[in-house]
Amino acid sequence: MAENGESSGPPRPSRGPAAAQGSAAAQAEPKIIKVTVKTPKEKEEFAVPENSSVQQFKEAISKRFKSQTDQLVLIFAGKILKDQDTLIQHGIHDGLTVHLVIKSQNRPQGQSTQPSNAAGTNATSASTPRSNSTPISTNSNPFGLGSLGGLAGLSSLGLSSTNFSELQSQMQQQLMASPEMMIQIMENPFVQSMLSNPDLMRQLIMANPQMQQLIQRNPEISHLLNNPDIMRQTLEIARNPAMMQEMMRNQDLALSNLESIPGGYNALRRMYTDIQEPMLNAAQEQFGGNPFASVGSSSSSGEGTQPSRTENRDPLPNPWAPPPATQSSATTSTTTSTGSGSGNSSSNATGNTVAAANYVASIFSTPGMQSLLQQITENPQLIQNMLSAPYMRSMMQSLSQNPDLAAQMMLNSPLFTANPQLQEQMRPQLPAFLQQMQNPDTLSAMSNPRAMQALMQIQQGLQTLATEAPGLIPSFTPGPIGPIGPTGPAGPPGSTGSGGPTGPTVSSAAPSETTSPTSESGPNQQFIQQMVQALAGANAPQLPNPEVRFQQQLEQLNAMGFLNREANLQALIATGGDINAAIERLLGSQPS
Amino acid sequence: MAVSTGVKVPHNFRLLEELEEGQKGVGDGTVSWGLEDDEDMTLIRWTGMIIGPPRTNYENRIYSLKVEWGPKYPEASPSVRFVTKINMNGINNSSGMVDARSIPVLAKWQNSYSIKVVLQELRRLMMSKENMKLPQPPEGQTYNN
Repeated sequence: MAENGESSGPPRPSRGPAAAQGSAAAQAEPKIIKVTVKTPKEKEEFAVPENSSVQQFKEAISKRFKSQTDQLVLIFAGKILKDQDTLIQHGIHDGLTVHLVIKSQNRPQGQSTQPSNAAGTNATSASTPRSNSTPISTNSNPFGLGSLGGLAGLSSLGLSSTNFSELQSQMQQQLMASPEMMIQIMENPFVQSMLSNPDLMRQLIMANPQMQQLIQRNPEISHLLNNPDIMRQTLEIARNPAMMQEMMRNQDLALSNLESIPGGYNALRRMYTDIQEPMLNAAQEQFGGNPFASVGSSSSSGEGTQPSRTENRDPLPNPWAPPPATQSSATTSTTTSTGSGSGNSSSNATGNTVAAANYVASIFSTPGMQSLLQQITENPQLIQNMLSAPYMRSMMQSLSQNPDLAAQMMLNSPLFTANPQLQEQMRPQLPAFLQQMQNPDTLSAMSNPRAMQALMQIQQGLQTLATEAPGLIPSFTPGPIGPIGPTGPAGPPGSTGSGGPTGPTVSSAAPSETTSPTSESGPNQQFIQQMVQALAGANAPQLPNPEVRFQQQLEQLNAMGFLNREANLQALIATGGDINAAIERLLGSQPS
Repeated sequence: MAVSTGVKVPHNFRLLEELEEGQKGVGDGTVSWGLEDDEDMTLIRWTGMIIGPPRTNYENRIYSLKVEWGPKYPEASPSVRFVTKINMNGINNSSGMVDARSIPVLAKWQNSYSIKVVLQELRRLMMSKENMKLPQPPEGQTYNN
């Protein structure tokens, strides 16, 4: 066989210890051999004593390559050289080449193209859920609260703090760990539509005062925000979790590439300290932790240095998700963030706040939110904190200043869409309602656990009533709106638990309704009575009521020549009694 | 060794040449190979190492392989087995055996091919679209056989 011939075959270039010893035996002192150390980037020649150990060899290498010895991995002839081995042991002789791989501290480094990630990136990944090594996309999802045992679960995690922003951040972290919820929220059409509106997103970002500061310091960011293409792309990316992961990865790689540029590492560090931190803090303050703010900011700076990469504004979705989720009164929370956006008073924002209300209402219908509501009511302190949160106040103010906004918000809730009559009733109530919300008495009432419980009972009674007395449906729909709901529209029609729900006659229901809230605090009672009366008046006949209300308008329309009474009525209902708008509607449908 | 002229060169000469190349670090430094046992006179069992290519899920990892020539060397391809755990098309997930039919170089073996060619091909496949994004097991795991 070939082996036999080999033993006497031609001299091998380097053989094992047998051959080496043969030549080494003739030498008394160690010979210096030249060994080439090769990385994909570079190649260096080292003169080392023949009998040195791998450890010593590494020390020499670490000086030349400016790395630490424990970062070095030496490979020769397909084997990794361990520190305690000797060069001779592996047959490393003069003129041979050893491969070198330099690892980073956090992630083992490969070749030249992948230098170690900057500390900034590491901080980013530490602050992001990616440190959990889960391919979760950015958004945190309020829904997860219900499935996670709600607030009770969170309190067991140490959420004893009354700081609402802490609550938010904790919730967000919880939700980050729940990919299904994230997927759900991402798939929610509302979220998608919101994400697809770059203007709104920009407003949201700009509304954050810290972000504004950041923008002042870094005009690049404002450029990025104002660039619709980038925003759009980012939002698209944000909507697609898979793409998001891809972008994250590209971003990390881009950062790594950055580092390989001479001085790049320093640039990365600067980038981190200048941009990532403030943005992260800004986002955290407002929204209880925005893990991807830093990612976004790092990419935005990376944008400057690597124009080929599109900016990844991952933080954008996040500011939305926590507020709707983390607050029991999701209506207020979403409208809070939208309220700050609507402070810029763009119709876009309004439209989106409306959509926000929709979304919020749909949130409430989930059992998760219901349990959350219950838990929130049990925790009065939380509610108080929540209500006193600064953005709540701003939302309230903006809502009260802009009753139309609030009206639209309420009216476009899916709960209302089936009941235009209810919309009508709600409209006039809204200003009073808003004032109520700002009334500190209301706030204290909301933080009164018994009051909240009573309201919850009302809500439940309302539901019962709805099932047993379909005629009272308009009074039912406001129920699930949420904690605001209980104090508001849900208040009056509730308390069916007290009276027999079978009686469809509103007149008998009205007194019982008015009597039940007497146990509540004063301001609530007043408000509730108002609501009751309004609803009682509306309840008796569903259809005639709009006719009655719009009697005058109908006559006017008739006089103008719109003879189709039904169409007129529908138009009036749709426009809330606004004749001009109704006419436009009618004209829109009738080409004449 | 005039392999290219079609003259059949004694196997050991070629293997020795490969050994020398492996020790001298021919190539771009992203693959390395050598005898598994330096005392091995048969030059049959080799170890190889592939550095995971950048911008893939394999990056920054060092993959260790075992290459074993069969009796039909060089007409037959060697058997290649990953020692380090890897998730890649054509590699058995539980044993690390490389499926010769799915790796082009092994499937269409030519006797001018060498270990270097095999290792470089495997590395190239790591960069292919179908492989580069495959989730990888945690680093440092090896197959138990």
